[in-house]
Amino acid sequence: MFEIEAAADGSRMLVGRLDAAQAAKAQAAMDELLSATRLDLSRLEYVSSAGLGVLLKTQKRLMAAGGLTLVNVNGHILDVFRYSGFDQIFKIEAAGP
Amino acid sequence: MIPNPGPRVERRRLGTEALKRVLDVTRKLAAPFDLATMLAEVVQAAKQVLKADGGTLWLYEPGPNELVMRVATGIEPVRMSADRGIVGECVRTRAIINVPDCYADPRFNRDVDKRSGYVTRCLLTLPLIGHDDALVGVLQILNKFDGVFDEQDEEVAAALAAQCAVALQRVQMTEALVAGARLKQEIAVAREVQMSALPREMPVLPGYEVFGSFRPADETGGDTFDFQRLGDGRLFVMVADATGHGIGPALSVTQMQAMLRLAVRLNAGLDEAHRHVNNQLASDLPPERFVTACFGLMDAAAHVFEYYAPGQGPILHFEAATGKIQRFLPTGPPLGAFPLAQSRPPRQLRLEPGDIVGLISDGIFEWPDASEAEFGVERVEAILREHHRLPVATLAEKVFEQAAAFAAGAGQADDVTIVLLKRSDGGIPEATIDAVEFELQRDIGELDRIVAGVKSFWEAHRLPAGDRFAVDFAIEELFTNMVKYGKPGSTRIRLRLQCEPGAVAVRLVDPDSENFDPTVDRKVDVDAPLEARRPGGLGLHVIPKMVDAFSFEYAGRESRISFKKRTES
Repeated sequence: MFEIEAAADGSRMLVGRLDAAQAAKAQAAMDELLSATRLDLSRLEYVSSAGLGVLLKTQKRLMAAGGLTLVNVNGHILDVFRYSGFDQIFKIEAAGP
Repeated sequence: MIPNPGPRVERRRLGTEALKRVLDVTRKLAAPFDLATMLAEVVQAAKQVLKADGGTLWLYEPGPNELVMRVATGIEPVRMSADRGIVGECVRTRAIINVPDCYADPRFNRDVDKRSGYVTRCLLTLPLIGHDDALVGVLQILNKFDGVFDEQDEEVAAALAAQCAVALQRVQMTEALVAGARLKQEIAVAREVQMSALPREMPVLPGYEVFGSFRPADETGGDTFDFQRLGDGRLFVMVADATGHGIGPALSVTQMQAMLRLAVRLNAGLDEAHRHVNNQLASDLPPERFVTACFGLMDAAAHVFEYYAPGQGPILHFEAATGKIQRFLPTGPPLGAFPLAQSRPPRQLRLEPGDIVGLISDGIFEWPDASEAEFGVERVEAILREHHRLPVATLAEKVFEQAAAFAAGAGQADDVTIVLLKRSDGGIPEATIDAVEFELQRDIGELDRIVAGVKSFWEAHRLPAGDRFAVDFAIEELFTNMVKYGKPGSTRIRLRLQCEPGAVAVRLVDPDSENFDPTVDRKVDVDAPLEARRPGGLGLHVIPKMVDAFSFEYAGRESRISFKKRTES
């Protein structure tokens, strides 16, 4: 299951598993973002390359507007970002204290 | 002799009349409505059950964090921010809010009354929470006819809200599927409906191992299973099979499941639940249709499984002390076959250490090979006797595997459901030597099954959770590659996970594929600037960084991809 929840401050919380089975649904939700957005990944359990593709497409589209900022990225997911070099093309804020 | 299970708290039973009303509503909600009708039905149902004058249903939209009211008797549709008033508080806390005197409560928003001219006296506000813990909406019931809403009303309303949420979610999902994905074939829709009702994880029951699995046939049949933990520590267990294939049976069986769930949550006796559900199905279902089921309550403290098996059998009881298996016939005719004036008391099975109860659908017993010979009960019993020490997840997998092997390529014609309950004997399961194998269709949708299957393998083998991510990742990337680049066809992809000392070994086999070696490094530029990035190839690039011993073999159109993940222990 994958969901995107909106927080009061305009940021979005990604919840669940962002895999190939959920990619179309995730893309549709991301397509609704129109400006620079903070994505909170604290409740994202899993991401695969299909999920990376969704984030990449959104980042390209929103770059001129300031792009995506990823916050609270947990260890396993951060590893995937590092191995794929995605840590260099997203603003990533480390998990909180 | 059965030892005294100790003093029990006397539970308040819901009156037969109230139970009948709530079940009646659940039955209505199971009909295949469109969204608008369903919204109206839910409000109508709530008013009727709670004997109230008005009702309002807010659908929750997480994107804009708004509530949308499309039904309210005599009021135009309204949108509002989900952080206002009593409804807003309900969205935030997800708890029932009972306000006996609205105009004395500062949270109450009088605007709606002003606009409509209606005076809200007392108000019960309920969160509608769906299968996956997502908030579907908020239901408000106004002005009870004879006073204010009491504790019993809250209890009934909570049970009703759970049913409404699931029904709404089902309609939303069905509509989205039908409209969006061009899945107009009813079979695909039926399968979604059916799969959505399955438990997402296996329940934990102290002193017991519990496992259920469901494998849909190529053309959907009407199987399902369910587990529900009750407040008093007992576990509700159910396996069911509706006659026929397609959307009708899938809906019959989800309707029955919803009704039974509700009845046990409301603490109706099993006998009463059995009779009411049977009689409602008897009046609802077309004459040629019925549902066979085994459902009951597992009391882990008393080690007694109390159940009905209308039309469902044999129920198998493996006795660890003797190594023998008792076969139990159905307790009576299938549900919905004809009305029952009363039902006999439920049957009771007592479980000793190591004993196993098997609730297995006829898809296994009657699985035919090419010559129409059936797999049969004896073969299932032999597997249970021989492998009873295995973790139940592995044991269930073995039953399925051997039935599939027996059929030797004759496709799975019927849904297969296996539920096993085992009383622990304190021994260590033979986990280290064992493995699970899945057969997968060439469909990305199979990922959900992989996720669930791998998860139960993990749990059954008590492996550290830390490395799960890497294995999940590698399996998904390799499987989706096989689906995307493979030839569409009916051959299945096989996935096998095996536990070895200090490692998990995984193998994916595609029997009909091109010679493509995923272990060759295809040089993805991970330092390129954003505009030059392409998503392709990333998965294969990342796999070798996360797992060990990644290898590829190819012979006669068959690809075999293997990897291992070393575990900490």
